[in-house]
Amino acid sequence: MRYARLLVFVLVVLVIMAIPLALVLARSYFLSPTAQPVKAQPIQFPHQVHVQAIGLDCTYCHRNATTSAQATLPPIELCMQCHKIIPAQGRPELEKLVSAFEQNQPILWNKVHQLPDHSHFVHSVHLSFGFQCSTCHGNVGAMGKPGVQQVRDLRMGDCITCHQQNGARVDCSVCHY
Amino acid sequence: MPRWGMVIDLDRCIGCEACVVACQAENNVPINTEDVYHQRRAIAWIRVERYWEGEYPNIKARYIPVPCMQCTNAPCEPVCPVYATYHTTEGINMQVYNRCIGTRYCAVNCHWHVRFFNFWEPKWPDSLKNQLNPDVTVRSRGVMEKCNFCVHRIVKAEQKAKVEKRALRTDEVTTACAQACPTNAIVFGDLDDPNSAVSKLLAQAEQEGRVYRLLEDLGTDPKVYYLKKIDVAAAAEPAATH
Ligand code: SF4
Repeated sequence: MRYARLLVFVLVVLVIMAIPLALVLARSYFLSPTAQPVKAQPIQFPHQVHVQAIGLDCTYCHRNATTSAQATLPPIELCMQCHKIIPAQGRPELEKLVSAFEQNQPILWNKVHQLPDHSHFVHSVHLSFGFQCSTCHGNVGAMGKPGVQQVRDLRMGDCITCHQQNGARVDCSVCHY
Repeated sequence: MPRWGMVIDLDRCIGCEACVVACQAENNVPINTEDVYHQRRAIAWIRVERYWEGEYPNIKARYIPVPCMQCTNAPCEPVCPVYATYHTTEGINMQVYNRCIGTRYCAVNCHWHVRFFNFWEPKWPDSLKNQLNPDVTVRSRGVMEKCNFCVHRIVKAEQKAKVEKRALRTDEVTTACAQACPTNAIVFGDLDDPNSAVSKLLAQAEQEGRVYRLLEDLGTDPKVYYLKKIDVAAAAEPAATH
């Protein structure tokens, strides 16, 4: 019993020291992009139907992924190429699409995959080195309604690890300029 | 691996400041107002220094465009406590904005006065908001910025070359100032490539003895070379009159 007080003291100190550490870890966990809930979209677009059921390629809609920095979202006219012959009556999500087209309004999608600020990412280079869309975006083709979820961290540590594993440059100026 | 450099032919420069405007537009440099200028807080990644030579009426205007010298042994780099300014493998002295904590040591240590601090949040009139270059970060208050040889253009060209599975072609990239200069006074390119326009120009000017660099004797080995003015009248004058 001689050391009981010392033991209690040490335990209390350890617990107090553990609190900020736990807070920091919790913050980084809960703020991580993958822990965020699925974002609401103006139209609940099911990737599953388009990719798995119909068999479209990612680049059929995200046309600029292989040639430019941005993968880009398709214009509404591209949707309507198919959807003008698909009946929209009684399907509320499709009715939203058709009415947006008729009123000549763009659809204001919410950006799902968040990169840290001040970083420039280029889709075309990564694809030209043979990486698949799913390497970073996960199996989007299996994601249905209500929308797409970010599955990979995509913070700087994630990028650097991958660059090092694949022998890509890790100069700051590769992404930050 | 290229080693980017620049040659500025002072015999061609007419002091029009097209390079300054082009740089300002390309790199999202905020617009300088008169009061900002008088506080010596104006930001200009490239500036044209004007001075007069001779006495009235035989007076001549001289112009020297001054971008960042991109020193090989850059004095600004070792003083940064957070490594926000560093050398890329291609020899460009880079500024990483999101790393900079704004100590301004680098600006103090730069002899050419080509590093600029954002004392305020940058502002543009509404009519100019849509002309900002999406390839260049808009720097916020509290960070240093400087000429980086239009690194976004270089990166873009290199990425294009990678997608097309080829090496970067000679003189494929150029900076905004070199592109805008109406008299081609500014030439940008790879100093290590003997076929590039800079190397050829340098080799030729070297023979004419026209090449010099600003504050060369400091030993920082700048990668911006100047070709001195060819002054026909001065050459004709007898040396004793000076
Ligand atoms: S654009 Fe060319 S000619 Fe005009 S000031 Fe700049 S370097 Fe001189």
